Amino acid sequence: MRLFAIVLLLAAPLAAQVSYQDLLDPDPADWLTYGRTYDSQRHSPLTEITKENVGELGAAWIYPIPSAGRLQAVPVVVDGVMYVSAPNEVYALDARTGREIWSWRRQNGINRGPNRGVAVLGNLVYVGTPDAHLVALDARTGTLVWDVEVAPTDEGYYNPAPPFAIDGKIITGNAAGDYGLNGWLDAYDAKTGKRLWRWYTIPRPGDPDFGSWEGDSWKTGGGATWLSGSYDPELNLLYWGIGNPAPDFDGDDREGDNLYTESVVAIDAATGERRWHFQFTPHDVHDWDSVEIPILVDAEWEGKPRKLLAHADRNGFYYILDRATGEFLHGTPFIDKLNWATGLDEKGRPMRVPSVMPTPQGNFVCPSTSGATNWMSPAYNPVTGWFYLAAKEGCGVSYKAKQEFRPGGYGFMGTGYVESPEEPWQMFVRALDLKTGERKWQYKQVSSRHYGAGLVSTASGLIFAGDDQGFLTALDAVSGEPLWHFNTGMRISASPISYAVAGKQYVAVSAGVNVVAFRLP
Amino acid sequence: MLEKGVYFFPLAVKQCSLSAAHGEAEVDSTLEAVRPYRRASPDARAAYHEVQTSMLRFAALLLLPAFLFADTEGVNPLGSGADVIAAGRGIYNQSCTVCHGVDGGVGDRGPALAGGFRPQRRTDAEIYDAIVNGIPGTQMPAMGMNSDDAWRITAFIRSLRSSAADFPADGDAAHGEEVFWGKGGCGGCHQIGSRGGLLGPNLSNLGARMRLSEIRDALTVAKPHAPRGYKPVTVMTKDGRTIRGVVKNQHNFSIQILGDDGKLHLLVPEEIQTLDVRDKSMMPTDNEQRLSPQEFQDLLAFLSRLGSEGKP
Repeated sequence: MRLFAIVLLLAAPLAAQVSYQDLLDPDPADWLTYGRTYDSQRHSPLTEITKENVGELGAAWIYPIPSAGRLQAVPVVVDGVMYVSAPNEVYALDARTGREIWSWRRQNGINRGPNRGVAVLGNLVYVGTPDAHLVALDARTGTLVWDVEVAPTDEGYYNPAPPFAIDGKIITGNAAGDYGLNGWLDAYDAKTGKRLWRWYTIPRPGDPDFGSWEGDSWKTGGGATWLSGSYDPELNLLYWGIGNPAPDFDGDDREGDNLYTESVVAIDAATGERRWHFQFTPHDVHDWDSVEIPILVDAEWEGKPRKLLAHADRNGFYYILDRATGEFLHGTPFIDKLNWATGLDEKGRPMRVPSVMPTPQGNFVCPSTSGATNWMSPAYNPVTGWFYLAAKEGCGVSYKAKQEFRPGGYGFMGTGYVESPEEPWQMFVRALDLKTGERKWQYKQVSSRHYGAGLVSTASGLIFAGDDQGFLTALDAVSGEPLWHFNTGMRISASPISYAVAGKQYVAVSAGVNVVAFRLP
Repeated sequence: MLEKGVYFFPLAVKQCSLSAAHGEAEVDSTLEAVRPYRRASPDARAAYHEVQTSMLRFAALLLLPAFLFADTEGVNPLGSGADVIAAGRGIYNQSCTVCHGVDGGVGDRGPALAGGFRPQRRTDAEIYDAIVNGIPGTQMPAMGMNSDDAWRITAFIRSLRSSAADFPADGDAAHGEEVFWGKGGCGGCHQIGSRGGLLGPNLSNLGARMRLSEIRDALTVAKPHAPRGYKPVTVMTKDGRTIRGVVKNQHNFSIQILGDDGKLHLLVPEEIQTLDVRDKSMMPTDNEQRLSPQEFQDLLAFLSRLGSEGKP
């Protein structure tokens, strides 16, 4: 009996799967968070798969999740176990063989939105749910440990955002701004689920930026937090992109900049207070959510080391900010078809073309509302010093109409948009110089019009990119030349990852309803 | 129509509650149950198809009774005959075009009523209400016209969005068929049934799936880009062949071509010397010039009846 107790005592700490120290400096074999590391660089240090041998890469296994329709989740891999999620579902897989270890299903009859992934900390796996909860599962068994409401689902909220684990806290956002529901960012105690702080994306009375909304329009202003973010442990600041204002296409009754929609915000991880914000599209009328993942890089800027934040926005501009202060350092378009602004001023504010607005008859807007990029993650390779992203060229026709807000989770968009017949959409993978945004190369994904597939960079100089035709393609990070491809057969709407098990490197991606993993023979 | 709507409502509610409890299989059985009523009104039909095709099948199904009721209460008392539509078109083009554009095209202030983008589905009653009472909070005024004229305009607006087979063009369809296979040269690229060429879309069901205005546009207005599956291509292969046709599919690593020889040519980059994919469609749009006015009108009459049930 005494021996048993000692074994138990020993077993408890040994079984802890992921510590905060692991998250700060992940084992090269693991993929512990949405963006692999807190800086969201999506750069794997693994080098077994090289430019020379990538042509021999083959499928190792396929795991189907038919209920998902189209997976958007980025898998997380911890010590040979892969955790992947779909709405109301989480699966633990043997990352070497694709065999299921456990599965968890939530029976709630609500199925709003996609699910974009899980977080892990200690022995727990965290996932957001379509009824706007955050739940914690035991990483070894899938047993429910705690379950808290993030937002009231009867008002229409849901939670597609991948939770984000920091020291003892789980950060999560929610959706949906398109329903006119205001967003927030929450921190929960990782062990108990107790809420520690909440930061509202739309300033409330008393906030210095409260006046950036006309009248009561702030009450249905949107500003969702439907994706993940990044974190600087030294500054203890979280960086999160905020979604669009509502009604999306009709800004007539919400004059003002509509803060903090279409912004990146720096939030104190200890208190939940906002340190700074930078707004990419003031008074947006194009539904250009600025949730795109910010990449954090420490680099020299004009001869001095500086903490940088790089962000390619759905509005078509690429931005470099000082992430300690929020100061705008540089910005330039990363797409060719852009007609809504003539450029950025010295503060980074867009110089708008006033005529490029949605109209009742429909107006030509480049990029379209679907955006120059979106939730698919960019990647940064510290060797080339280049920022890689999936970019969409093409335009839309945008309409507006008066719409009344209706509580309970109904669209509050003030109408919508269609693809322009004159300028149809085309996807590219592009490499940009981190500091200047200068285009180094581009790879046209022939026949690909729809986005969703992000990138992963590897230390051996490869970029893996998916597309809507179902192809996963390996590109030379320096030249952009395709070196390998595989037709998964289903549209890829998630970002690939790389991990290792037993010393063997894998690349995996969610493609349609399948998780597909590749390795060398 | 009213009787069917009333009869339908409890049935649908019963089936919907079953569906909520038992999932998609029951939604399918509900679809079967409502099938006989899908022609009760244009909106019932639209709602039925929406339920059939929508990813949110269940949510849409819940709305189905509402569509039916809205329509049965506000059905157009003048009907939707060609004379009503023609009269409506005349009044529309006198009264509405300052904002909405001629024949429902793009106007200066209001939405293009024949446009493809429909933010919200409007019933006849709602269209009528907008004409008579205006739309508060917008620039749409109350038009101050008698109710028959408002219903005539409603019928015309409805016709703008109905398939050609429902409102076919006037003309001699039998002569139009001769033009199609003869002087028009349409059959070189298009099939009707199993007769005709392969490079263009099969037109057997054309009138049922396109509006008359869209068919007229296809014959007369050049599209900026050929649709997917119809981009013209010329390939020189490394083994010295020249292949002309249309691209059925293409990626960086392979191309699938339907050749003008009627054969499929499936190639990978290693087999290709030169590849010339054109963005402009092969579809000629000078048909109004090449054909006499009578030939063009008869061709329209033929095309707009393709796919109409029980009609030639």
